[in-house]
Amino acid sequence: MSLVDLVRLAFSRLRTGRLRAALTMLGVIIGVASVVALVGVGQGTTSNITERLSSLGTNLLTISAAGAAGGAESTLTLGDAEALAGLDGIAGVAPESQAQAVVAADGETTTTSIIGTTEDYAAVRAFDVWQGTFLTDVAVERNLRVAVLGATTADDLGLDESSLGTEITIGGLPFKLIGILQPKGGATFADPDDQVMVPIGVVHKYLTGGDGVRTIGVSVAEQDQMTAVQSGITTLLRARHDLAAADDDDFSIFDQAQLLETASSISGTLTLLLGGIASISLVVGGIGIMNIMLVSVRERTREIGIRKAVGARGRDILLQFLIEALTLSGLGGILGVAVGLGVSALIARIGGISFAFSPTTLAVALLFSLAVGIVFGVWPARQAARLDPITALRYE
Amino acid sequence: MDTPIISLRGIGRTYDMGTVAVEALRSVDLDVAPGEFVAIIGPSGSGKSTLMHIIGCLDRPTAGTYRLAGAPVEDLDDDGLARVRSRTIGFVFQSYNLLPRTSALDNVVAPLLYQGVKRSDRVRRARAALERLGLADRMGHEPSELSGGQQQRVAVARALVSDPALILADEPTGNLDQASGHDVLEVFRELNRSGRTIVLITHDQEVAEAATRQVHIRDGRLVA
Ligand SMILES: Nc1ncnc2c1ncn2[C@@H]1O[C@H](COP(=O)(O)OP(=O)(O)O)[C@@H](O)[C@H]1O
Ligand SMILES: [Mg+2]
Repeated sequence: MSLVDLVRLAFSRLRTGRLRAALTMLGVIIGVASVVALVGVGQGTTSNITERLSSLGTNLLTISAAGAAGGAESTLTLGDAEALAGLDGIAGVAPESQAQAVVAADGETTTTSIIGTTEDYAAVRAFDVWQGTFLTDVAVERNLRVAVLGATTADDLGLDESSLGTEITIGGLPFKLIGILQPKGGATFADPDDQVMVPIGVVHKYLTGGDGVRTIGVSVAEQDQMTAVQSGITTLLRARHDLAAADDDDFSIFDQAQLLETASSISGTLTLLLGGIASISLVVGGIGIMNIMLVSVRERTREIGIRKAVGARGRDILLQFLIEALTLSGLGGILGVAVGLGVSALIARIGGISFAFSPTTLAVALLFSLAVGIVFGVWPARQAARLDPITALRYE
Repeated sequence: MDTPIISLRGIGRTYDMGTVAVEALRSVDLDVAPGEFVAIIGPSGSGKSTLMHIIGCLDRPTAGTYRLAGAPVEDLDDDGLARVRSRTIGFVFQSYNLLPRTSALDNVVAPLLYQGVKRSDRVRRARAALERLGLADRMGHEPSELSGGQQQRVAVARALVSDPALILADEPTGNLDQASGHDVLEVFRELNRSGRTIVLITHDQEVAEAATRQVHIRDGRLVA
């Protein structure tokens, strides 16, 4: 019997027992759908984190003042930042002071973060300039009232390249717009594109009213120097802050990349785990198929006898039942993939999580469901093939 | 006489029931020439079905030798027996034994599936067989939608479709009313007239009259 005939036979069989076929497939459908959905969402989250990782800035260390959120009472100073720049292995230092303020241009207003910083900021935080220039050393040194807008902020205010050189107001004060940044995207946490950058002295003078520095971003020249530079910074800052040996640090150093790497590996592990759990439900679906196939072999004992009497070999019967099991599991797999993609899309929409459509996952899920069909179909099929024709014909 | 199509020598079939052994057949010798229409007559339990199963290669004897069209059957494995059934033998059973929930046409197609006949040829041949048995307008019907006589005629069409040398019928009229039984026997007679070898099994002397030769069986032995 050719494969086409066997598949045709299997389908006509499934047609005569639609409800049973559907219920039998349900186990596989649920199994495959959960593998596709969970792995899809898991991989989406992982790739989100990875994306975010590369947009953070290379080899970035963030030094934060302990306790205070910034402003006058911060323990970090501009002097600290200047001193850090002298350390070995450091590529750039960008002190940051932050305030919230209303930004207005041409009748449009928005409230956003104003970051007071220096010319190193763009390099340290891995921002690219889209139009105009970033803050220059001259502007920072002379505390010029110039501003660079993040992509989202520029968009909110309806500003584009034609607006360069025009005046915007921040907290009511006029600033000259000198640049607009490229968007980074990846809005998992705060939108990195919704901010305005001005010289740090300007923020101190007009917005925070002190010379405290909230954070200092440090970009390390070489990846393998991260730890060494970190302890160099600790030693330097402890000395500058006159801390006794018993005192705790009054600042903290944060390696965001490392954190995200950990998060990404955790999320990867989680994805595997979820996929594994989902696969178990697929196996349960396979057992459902085996159960139904065994029942079917009993119910159709007479049919098997008849087929043998008209010339079927054991192999023909084996293949007939095996192909039936495979058709169930394969159809279940295809439907499961469809349901899984639907569910992932729904989760992605409702939960705001991105999900990765991975052809590999789909192929693996499909192959796995076929494998389930073979593994759980072969035993009932062998039972059927081994039946003695006379016993089968006499079976009531 | 030509080489017999069926040649049984000293055939025995013992069912081992654990403590007792049931001897369903004892030392049966039988030759059937090509083109014969033989009736095997005997009361219930005399071993008729057992004999037919052995002739039909559905079962193996526990003693004796069986040559089918000159070739010994003992040496064949299960696949070999299946091949013989597929090519050489057509069965008609008392209880029709049609595939349930399967159209008459697909039932008749079944033997051809296992011979590897092309799809278009299968359908053409199955239609021809059904037409020959006067079932042209019933091809799409499932067994449950057919009368007993019609079901048995579908079964005969199925036995014919692969053009086997030998047709074996076990009480083919047993479940039929007299008129349908007559029709089926008439079909056998006509098949025999066109040269086919037929072995008909029955407990009914009247049915056996349809055949050209009658063989009696009692307690597993052929009697004169
Ligand atoms: N599978 C079997 N196991 C045990 N005994 C059997 C089996 N098949 C048939 N027999 C016995 O063999 C004898 C002949 O049976 P069977 O060939 O069916 O007779 P018939 O068809 O003439 O009525 C009976 O006594 C029956 O009980
Ligand atoms: Mg009988």
